[in-house]
Amino acid sequence: MERVEILENVKAVFIDVLDNEDIELSDETTAKDVDDWDSLNHIQLIVGIEKKFKIRFTSQEIQSWKNVGEMLNAIQAKL
Amino acid sequence: MLFSVNDKFEHEFTVTEKVYATFIATFNDCNPLHIDDAFAQAKGFNSKVMHGNILGGFLSYFIGECLPTKDVIIHSQQLSFTNAVYLNNTLRFVATVIEVYESVSTVVFKFSFTNQEGKVACKGKIQIGII
Repeated sequence: MERVEILENVKAVFIDVLDNEDIELSDETTAKDVDDWDSLNHIQLIVGIEKKFKIRFTSQEIQSWKNVGEMLNAIQAKL
Repeated sequence: MLFSVNDKFEHEFTVTEKVYATFIATFNDCNPLHIDDAFAQAKGFNSKVMHGNILGGFLSYFIGECLPTKDVIIHSQQLSFTNAVYLNNTLRFVATVIEVYESVSTVVFKFSFTNQEGKVACKGKIQIGII
């Protein structure tokens, strides 16, 4: 899957979980940049992403991500 | 992770007079369907129908008290009510783990409540976190 397609799928998960159609994501986006991306919603985002791509992460993997770009890299590596 | 896909848990719940009366006293939902036998029978039910969210209370008990750990929190739940539950009905509850997300210590169960006649009264999914 192309990276741009991964980004679109991740964005769809964010829009669904955070109920916000206006979300824009880039490689540099962090939780501070997105309204309501708090610790509880973070769980729902990870669950949504793992379900969407039919992949699983470890807690160590997700804790290592510094931004959306690193999340996309990790997803791409598992596809 | 304490849970694996296909882990199964079972329990039995009865909608006793005490449970029913406490629910009404707490939440004050006195819709005639729930308190008036004649009204409920006119609508096609056997007698007054128990509040569906009494089963939601049983579900809360299951998560809070019946799992092998108390370190749990409910993230979300979805219930569908498929058959009426009446006073003093005993329901067989079965919950099965269908998804495990180790990365965020999260588990999803599907569950059902089945009445004495073998009919499913309520089914759904519940997602919990291990805290």
